Amino acid sequence: MAYKPQYGPGTSVVAENRRKQMNPGQKLEKVRSVTDEDIVLILGHRAPGSAYPTAHPPLAEQQEPNCPMRKLVKPTDGAKAGDRVRYIQFADSMFNAPSQPYQRTYTEMYRFRGIDPGTLSGRQIVECRERDLEKYAKDLIETEMFDPALVGIRGATVHGHSLRLAEDGMMFDMLQRNVLGEDGIVKYVKNQIGEPLDRAVAVGKPMDEKWLKAHTTIFHSLVGTAYRDDTEYIEYIQRIHSLRTKYGFMPKEE
Amino acid sequence: MTNAEFPQVRIVPIRMLKPATAERLLNMLAGTAGIRRMMIHGPGLPKTVPYGPARGSPNPHSDRKAIRVADAEIALRVQVGTVILEVEDASVIEEIRSLCDDFFVEFPYLLQEGKFMKTSPTLVDYAKYGPDADTSLVGLTDPRNRESPVILRTEQ
Repeated sequence: MAYKPQYGPGTSVVAENRRKQMNPGQKLEKVRSVTDEDIVLILGHRAPGSAYPTAHPPLAEQQEPNCPMRKLVKPTDGAKAGDRVRYIQFADSMFNAPSQPYQRTYTEMYRFRGIDPGTLSGRQIVECRERDLEKYAKDLIETEMFDPALVGIRGATVHGHSLRLAEDGMMFDMLQRNVLGEDGIVKYVKNQIGEPLDRAVAVGKPMDEKWLKAHTTIFHSLVGTAYRDDTEYIEYIQRIHSLRTKYGFMPKEE
Repeated sequence: MTNAEFPQVRIVPIRMLKPATAERLLNMLAGTAGIRRMMIHGPGLPKTVPYGPARGSPNPHSDRKAIRVADAEIALRVQVGTVILEVEDASVIEEIRSLCDDFFVEFPYLLQEGKFMKTSPTLVDYAKYGPDADTSLVGLTDPRNRESPVILRTEQ
């Protein structure tokens, strides 16, 4: 029988959402649309419309060594063209943000190719070839993995994921890259490292509390689903913890 | 610094306050008799980008502005997260509680009693203010910063 990944344990809606995001066979719901130019502006790596700077000549122009691995693995578009490696970094609020650093890394590893994610407690960075990055960033921003108020695209100065939200429901950002306008639409006024943009980039309206609670991938006993309510998840974690602890003693399962 | 005679309380709103709301809250507190000292606490909003590739470039932020409390102008440097108060006696705490109950209607808040201000000068305080520092002012501002505390004169 062919192996079918289970992606994760749990019976709660949080666990279900985690599995949904990780499973590349599941199409993520598109919630908003952002143009390619907007993505380039927020990323701030190159001017919109300019050519992609390269780190090496395109693979087609290079003499490739005779290597079976290179024959087996098809290069991504960015690698083929010799693009530079660039990044996007997200900070996700603990108040029911739709994705979380570890979750993002798992999801990206299952769904994208040619990436190098870095996972930290409050932020997650993913590096890849520029052309691929823009494509992946679009996916990450347009789908249900993003919320304009609770997820920040922050290259530096990311502090805020564990803080209380502001009165208007926005996650704290020392550099105020995104602003909630009078019309209820969140606009990026600075790129991800905090340099002002020539024009504001709209990323849509913040999702309401009900939607967030139904789409989040973090447990939170006060504003969302409590971890202790998902007995299957607890059982799984306790098993891992116990096996890890006993590992040095050559555990044998009964 | 903390004087054991005077109780301290901390107002913790469940959301961080915008300058306009903070201004209303502080004005309400400034009109209350029996508050000795007050401290605004929260994450900082620097004037320039502190690190990253854009380090040193200006950081416009709509929440970093001056608010008017009683007769004084206070330049906010933080997003107001908590307000720490030192009061004359326990009866003032109850007054603050009843005022805050009416004030926080859109989101809840916590009123915590405890010790929230410095109890003795630190090395940095000593280096900055010297051995004869006014102990009632130590701990109210960041000693690394040149700003001094604001003194509110209310009509009482």
